[in-house]
Amino acid sequence: MTATQERPTGAGETRILTLIQAVTEAMREELARDERVVVFGEDVGARGGVFLATAGLQAEFGPRRVFDTPLSEASVVGAAVGMAVRGLRPIAEIQFADYMGPGFDQIISQAAKIRYRSGGQFTAPMIIRTPSGGGVKGGHHHSQSPESYFTHTPGLKVVMPSTPYDAKGLLKAAIRGEDPVIYFEPKRLYRAAKGEVPSHDYTVKIGEGAIRREGTDLTLVGYGGVMPDAERAAAALAAEGVSVEVIDLRSLVPWDRELVLSSVQKTGRAVLVSEAPRISNFMGEVAYVIQEQAFDSLLAPVGQVAGFDTPYPYVQDKVYLPGPNRITAACVKALNY
Amino acid sequence: MMTASPSSPTTLPLASPIEPFSPEPLRWVAEDGRPVRDLPARYTPELLRELHREMVRAREFDRKLVTLLRQGRTTFYAQSSGMEATQVGLARSIRVGHDWVWPYYRDHTLGLAMGVPMIDLISQCLGTNSDLCKGRQMPHHFGSASKNFVSISSSIASQVPPAAGNAMAQKYLGTDEITLCTFGDGATSEGDWHAGLNMAGAAKAPALFVCENNQWAISTNLAAQTASPNIHIKAKAYGMPGFYVDGNDIVAVMEVCGYAAEWVRAGNGPALVECLTYRVGSHSNADADAEKNYRTRDEVNSWLARDPIARVEGLLAHLGHPVDAEERADLISAVHRAVDADVLKAEATGQPDWRIMFEDVYADTPPHLREQAAFVRAEMEGQK
Repeated sequence: MTATQERPTGAGETRILTLIQAVTEAMREELARDERVVVFGEDVGARGGVFLATAGLQAEFGPRRVFDTPLSEASVVGAAVGMAVRGLRPIAEIQFADYMGPGFDQIISQAAKIRYRSGGQFTAPMIIRTPSGGGVKGGHHHSQSPESYFTHTPGLKVVMPSTPYDAKGLLKAAIRGEDPVIYFEPKRLYRAAKGEVPSHDYTVKIGEGAIRREGTDLTLVGYGGVMPDAERAAAALAAEGVSVEVIDLRSLVPWDRELVLSSVQKTGRAVLVSEAPRISNFMGEVAYVIQEQAFDSLLAPVGQVAGFDTPYPYVQDKVYLPGPNRITAACVKALNY
Repeated sequence: MMTASPSSPTTLPLASPIEPFSPEPLRWVAEDGRPVRDLPARYTPELLRELHREMVRAREFDRKLVTLLRQGRTTFYAQSSGMEATQVGLARSIRVGHDWVWPYYRDHTLGLAMGVPMIDLISQCLGTNSDLCKGRQMPHHFGSASKNFVSISSSIASQVPPAAGNAMAQKYLGTDEITLCTFGDGATSEGDWHAGLNMAGAAKAPALFVCENNQWAISTNLAAQTASPNIHIKAKAYGMPGFYVDGNDIVAVMEVCGYAAEWVRAGNGPALVECLTYRVGSHSNADADAEKNYRTRDEVNSWLARDPIARVEGLLAHLGHPVDAEERADLISAVHRAVDADVLKAEATGQPDWRIMFEDVYADTPPHLREQAAFVRAEMEGQK
């Protein structure tokens, strides 16, 4: 991991961090703040995780607080449930979102349900952090976007930041919250996304989206790894005289319907972008809510740009991902309807 | 290596350690009630009578709940008849309300013996307002925070990795608590079971894993479940001792599980105990004619001859304190009256209303659930 780059803003108010540095910093600060916080998973200790998100944490906090586990996602997730029930604040890392399969039952049967099934007698406030999405030439077992499996499960909160600021603030909010949170980290933005992060303590509320760019002609909605491309598409359209409002959902469950609806009511057009396969894509829910609650405002059908309904490919990685051209084309289609 | 437990005399460790991996289930009392090895002094007639009462209460509770099922007042029930020694003995092997329990779905006798009030179980089975779990789960899946008895989940073995985590948290927090995690023989085929034992073993977490081997996972018997000759030998693979106990001998269960619990509590890491017992009834109301479909009357009869309640009665008789027939009849009718009274009390609290459906999904109800609740409210008001 590269060293934190200080920005000459004086008084250390903000610094430029990469997204992964922000993730690490959130964990470091929360480990220091709260003895109940523990960080664990496969290779997160001395190695610091395959992407080095936990680098240095074991050295700083010791193997009691930051530790390696057996290679078993069912154990990692399940143990997090038990630790949370017994009063800890576990942050479990699943090495790649693609490997959540063996831990799936623990997520949906235990983590998501224990509050409800026990009538609130037992709760599992815990975080599952996992790198997700493509763009790193990882092939289908290192590039998938499985968020819809989890947005479909009541009891889970699901978030995916795209900026260092949000990465830190959302992770802190998740750690301090009372519910299980699936925290997807868009791996291709780990080092590509850089941005200002305050030095002071702050959180980003789960469930609130963010307007990345204001506009009046069309609302472009995305989250996670697609956001830089969505902003590039908006910039390209701006050069053509089209004003695109770009919204980053940041949280999928709960998601900021009011922000999206008020924007679509203003612009009359919506294009939804994600890189997950299209069928049962979370954006299908967003499209449904827009047509249900902003139908009269719509000047064109809601557009969707998604991944294809194939396993994620290795060689054709770039073709699979919805890049700025595909996003721009979907916007143009909506504008010309 | 061992630490005594001053607050619970029934969990005192034995003077001499019990060897793991015995080829035959360890027992203290033969089928006819005759002790086959020295009976520790704590098994006074008073204690044995107390255990006998708890076992009879559990069996009669089963009878009454099956009646409720037949009356259509509940929709699911899984009897534990035949397994009373295992579950009552387990309750006596831990520090109730101090240790944590991640039970499986046939553990109502364990819950009762731990002191979960009978009305809490009945309320959960009936889904009334008095149900601590608020009518969310199918009947017979209760939980009790006051006893650290974690709400039961239907998915098989999914409690095992969380139990490992619970034990890891106990170690992290520096408590002298242990975690008891129970499961049936079928659960040992699930990936979660292996994952949980492996995790607890690697972490040297204070977890006591207990297989209530009743030999049938619905209609699949142990021979079809695993090529292992038994369950406890699997402990070897996870670096923990495996104990093999006659689960119909309550003295053996208390001795071995009590010993294993204190061994775990002393910081030695987890242990696995296999209590060999038998489910005399069907798996649930879903297979009420088990003998017709997948097992023989002869097999059931051979296990009825090893009945755990009769064994304690035999032991009491052997010690010169027989349970007389009138006393037993009084006990049975007292249990029946108590169940009837609790059923009426529970039913009087009514059914939880629709609002409860939207609570406890999250700590705070998010907007989309508030809207869905508002939709139902409008629907309800429209029906008035």
